[in-house]
Amino acid sequence: MASTKVETIMDVKNLDVTRSNSLVIKNASFKIDKGDYVGIVGPNGGGKTTLLLALLGILPKKAGSIKLFGNDIKSFSNWEKLAYVSQTALNFDVHFPLTVRELVGLGRVNRGIIGRKLRRSDWDAVDESLGFMGIKNIADKRIGELSGGQKQRVFVAKALVRNPELIFLDEPVTGVDAVTQEMFFKKLSDLKDKRGITILIVSHDLTAVFCRMSKVMCVNREVNVSEITEDFEPNDVLRDAYGEHFHFVFHRHTCEGVFNNG
Amino acid sequence: MADLSLLDIPRLLGYQFFQYAIIGGIIAALACAWVGLFLILRKEAMIGGGIAHTAFGGIALGLFLGIEPLLTTLLISILAVLGIAYMRKKGLAQSDSAIAVMYALGFALGLIIISLAGGFNVELFSYLFGSVLTIDTTDLIIVSILGIFTILFLGIFYKELLSITFDEESSRLMGIPVKPLSVSFNILVAITIVLSIKVIGIILVVALLVLPGLTALQLRLSFKGTTIAAIGFGILSITIGIMLSAIYNVATSGIIVFTAAGLFAWTAVYRRLE
Repeated sequence: MASTKVETIMDVKNLDVTRSNSLVIKNASFKIDKGDYVGIVGPNGGGKTTLLLALLGILPKKAGSIKLFGNDIKSFSNWEKLAYVSQTALNFDVHFPLTVRELVGLGRVNRGIIGRKLRRSDWDAVDESLGFMGIKNIADKRIGELSGGQKQRVFVAKALVRNPELIFLDEPVTGVDAVTQEMFFKKLSDLKDKRGITILIVSHDLTAVFCRMSKVMCVNREVNVSEITEDFEPNDVLRDAYGEHFHFVFHRHTCEGVFNNG
Repeated sequence: MADLSLLDIPRLLGYQFFQYAIIGGIIAALACAWVGLFLILRKEAMIGGGIAHTAFGGIALGLFLGIEPLLTTLLISILAVLGIAYMRKKGLAQSDSAIAVMYALGFALGLIIISLAGGFNVELFSYLFGSVLTIDTTDLIIVSILGIFTILFLGIFYKELLSITFDEESSRLMGIPVKPLSVSFNILVAITIVLSIKVIGIILVVALLVLPGLTALQLRLSFKGTTIAAIGFGILSITIGIMLSAIYNVATSGIIVFTAAGLFAWTAVYRRLE
């Protein structure tokens, strides 16, 4: 581990979140540092999406504190530092008349530029973002014609075009084959390595999480964040979330074969 | 005007009534097609139809009070839009039921006023089905002002409207004021309908809102391309309608709707054959 100075960009203490009067997240405390690549795992209904929405300030918290970039969430205003790709983003109306470039351009729209046209600099950022995600060649394609893997990249490009420091991805992986999936996780690694962007991604792909990411967050009402290190034993943390009888077969060497870093 | 032919169009263009008709028609077509494309994509086409029928009450009110009917209609239509928004917000009714309530109320208002007034059927007819060939200077000024307002609003808030139309949830996250924009947009729908009343009438205006957009969507273009195509189809329908109706002396709005529907059918068939 390189011993660079770590900057905590998210600091959560004793967080409770309720939804329709039931406690979904209970007493969660954790820290996320700049450049972390965090896989959020846990059973369905365990509260993964609820937690993300609370961290984004969309759902109110019941108790506890959330600090974003050193500021309490109540007084936090730099929302352009955060980007979010929702679970439903990829399920759009396929007949909607929109090209990839137009969609990514919409990512530039924010509170500060209501009513002004997108400028040259905005479109430069769009091209840059398309280039980074490797989808320049489909910029003029209609979004309804894209494959699952292309859709993922397009929506990440839309999030990226705002130059965020932190990206939340809520499992944007439906209908994508394993190879495409792995290429997508690799692309996200690049985001972290080349741009220092912190990533939190909900994923059911446990192998990818343990091979690729720097931290794992288990969410099942309780939240447990562990650093993934060489001698890390996945089952220790996964059992807390998935139950005693859960066993995840994981060999570190599988990472070498499947996870091609080239 | 019975014995005219297509060759007389250049001569017709020299007449003021014809120039007014074409200018008013183009403004209405532009506003309707542009607003209509958003309506289709927001799946709110029936708000257009609903508000147009509510407008009936406004027209009757204006004629009864001796005020310019387009102004009373503007007022009643905007009230209807706000009524629909209020019912939705308070959970009193879903969008479609709220529209049904306003639709009926507007028509009922018109009916009561007509019975009180003892009927002004002939004048009402021109508002129900439009009479673009009899547009006067006052009408044209009202149509132009409302048209410019509509076009400016869409031009300025184009990307925000597109964003909330495509994905309301993520737009809210990006700090776009979704609620105020949605209500403003629906008021714009009311304004567009009012400015189109003289051209096509309240019964058929929904066709001008929906058909050009649907036709353009068949072409599977970008959003910008679809918008331009929709406006083009709208203007084409109106100008063909006005010319044919002036020459053959048939109801303008009927021809406009048939032209717009014909263009839609043609692009749909073309798509299938491709």
